[in-house]
Amino acid sequence: MGAPGHDPSSARLVVGVDIGNSTTEACLASLAPDGSVTYLGADLTRTTGVKGTPDNTAGALRVVRDVLARAGRRPEEVHTVLLNEATPVISGLAMETITETIITESTMIGHNPTTPGGQGLAVGTTVAIADLAGHPPGEPVVCVVPVEWDFDDVARVVNAAVARGVAVVAAVLAGDDAVLVTNRLDFPVPVVDEVRAVEKVPLGMLAAVEVAAPGRTIRTLSDSYGLASVFGLDPDQTRAVSPVARALTGNRSAVVVRTPSGDVTDRRIPVGELVLRGAGRELRVDVDAGAEAIMATVARLQPLDDVHGEPGTHVGGMLAQVRDTMTDVLHDADGSAEPAAIAIRDVLAVDTFVPAEVRGGLAGEVALENAVALAAMVRTSRSRMQLVADQVSAALGARAEIGGVEGEMAVGGALTTPGVDRPVAVLDLGGGSTDAALMTRDGVCTAVHVAGAGELVTKLIDSELALGDREVAEGVKWHPLAKVESFFHLRHEDGTVQFFDHPFPPQVFARVVVMTPDGPVPVDTRHGLDHVRRVRRAAKSRVFVVNAVRALRQVAPGGDLRALDFVVLLGGSALDFEIPELIADELAPYGIVCGTGNVLGTQGPRTAVASGLVRSHAAAMSCPAG
Amino acid sequence: MPGRLSGAAARPAVLVHRPPGAPAAVLREVRAGAEEEGVPTDVVDVPGRPADAVGLAHAAARASQLEVGIGVDDDGAVAVHHGKLPAHGPAATTGRDAGPGDWRRAGRVAARIVKGLPLS
Repeated sequence: MGAPGHDPSSARLVVGVDIGNSTTEACLASLAPDGSVTYLGADLTRTTGVKGTPDNTAGALRVVRDVLARAGRRPEEVHTVLLNEATPVISGLAMETITETIITESTMIGHNPTTPGGQGLAVGTTVAIADLAGHPPGEPVVCVVPVEWDFDDVARVVNAAVARGVAVVAAVLAGDDAVLVTNRLDFPVPVVDEVRAVEKVPLGMLAAVEVAAPGRTIRTLSDSYGLASVFGLDPDQTRAVSPVARALTGNRSAVVVRTPSGDVTDRRIPVGELVLRGAGRELRVDVDAGAEAIMATVARLQPLDDVHGEPGTHVGGMLAQVRDTMTDVLHDADGSAEPAAIAIRDVLAVDTFVPAEVRGGLAGEVALENAVALAAMVRTSRSRMQLVADQVSAALGARAEIGGVEGEMAVGGALTTPGVDRPVAVLDLGGGSTDAALMTRDGVCTAVHVAGAGELVTKLIDSELALGDREVAEGVKWHPLAKVESFFHLRHEDGTVQFFDHPFPPQVFARVVVMTPDGPVPVDTRHGLDHVRRVRRAAKSRVFVVNAVRALRQVAPGGDLRALDFVVLLGGSALDFEIPELIADELAPYGIVCGTGNVLGTQGPRTAVASGLVRSHAAAMSCPAG
Repeated sequence: MPGRLSGAAARPAVLVHRPPGAPAAVLREVRAGAEEEGVPTDVVDVPGRPADAVGLAHAAARASQLEVGIGVDDDGAVAVHHGKLPAHGPAATTGRDAGPGDWRRAGRVAARIVKGLPLS
């Protein structure tokens, strides 16, 4: 059914359209009657709706119109739109904290005010500053100061008490006044400030206050035997306070109050077991065992049929949540009455940590809790691509064909990269899944999809840096870091210093920033540049390097990476400034040539599938089957 | 130490320029903010020259060895300036309806410019 108005003898305009998890890409080409292909342009837009559902039509039409406009062609000129047979692979993410630090009865203040006062270790009984005037001389006192007290008044009252013979050995302040108070004391003592809930510090109890010298961390209260020595603890009690010591490690200042039943609990939350089915077997693995053990089990059960979490446990909840979301999305998308059958065909587990405010803390104390992140991938049989094709065809008045297996098309596009030859493996680094496809010398193609890609990297960066903002986390993922060092210069993460002739706005002064095309954008964190960089690279490595190896093993002959020659990186994350080199470093020992795709020699790692569709269509036209 | 100057005026400090009518309460909090950060301040009286806080702060910054200055005007408005910033582009200002917390913060900002720390 040739579209009306087209002269079959002249060149035909065709558009290849690749609907992916996060972007929809188009490649425009003109096919001459002799089968030769002239590429006219490529474009991309955000995918509308879940890949493989009718919602995709809007995005597909937009990208087709965009690519035509850019090439100066009209929609009426299009002869055929080529759509990929989208493998309906969708992915979900879940994260669960598996440890929790709880302080009962206010035993510990382990936060890190930026400016504590004085230095040293002192032990005494907690006394409210209002009661200091009436306090008898003698035993050492730790003075507790509520928020409304002015620093001059605090110093005057303490100095008066000391003059009467009351041994004030340390102070705990609600406000940010520690240095001001210390500077006004006749006999300076260690002072910890910014204790927000100072009214909850128990009075009349033995307390130890330690402030380290600038540039140092506390030595006594962060040591189990140090605590035992300070409070005269027996071995059983020492065992009980060892979580306190651990929680205080690395701080410049700390307060520990000895209360009769106070405690710091380092609780392990039972996470439960993953039940994995595949290769005709069923294995269970405790999530507590960590990502490595889970992934080893996954590797033993290839290909996976389904994954469940033990009901009533955290992991059960995690997977149920992933499954429910996917059921809803597919159900809404295809509009059918019966729920789609959801089988989780791959999982990627990643060990991570989450800085969380300590329950029962008095000063916003933060503990690094262990967590596990799971990416799950679901494959369903319900591709609704025909509906998309029909809608695109109707809107454009052109033919719309669905053709080509995605992996095969991607390889076809990748082969247009200069310097690439068969046998070749492509790694499509996407948003939701990482896909690999291998084409042998004889043109036989195999493809796999594994769970976990760009979205998981963003999530890890977001939670490990406690950013609480997905957009900022995306920024940290995509752009190199720098540290603003003055109003006029900054130091890039590689050490290069750059001068600017306009002053930076005050809100970026001295901050760690991401270098976006629009200029430096501050990252709201107390961590230094090195820490942020480490978190970013580790997140990318734990997702993409792990998945590159996992996916390539599944397509490599005999599972042997040495059997691979060329590996071409494709997809949005192949545009990342460091992911390709992280993967290339990992693959180098196997003698693999690995690099970023440059489709058609101009398009970079984008539009491989779209141009592969055009290529295979042209090949089919010039030598018709049969 | 060879070459070291003596006297308080030679001590590196954030300079605070103020006309005689500048409110003492504002000055106290501004100086406390810098002191809490461990950076010294010296107050300089600039009589007979009615100027706004930003102008005072810029002059103070240009005169300070640390290139950081604070201006407190007759109405208690505060500005923080760096000697290399454009005269009308201060690092921070407080309005006339500011309170002790804002004044303290202005002093802290001045100190943190000296120390190369984020301002908020």
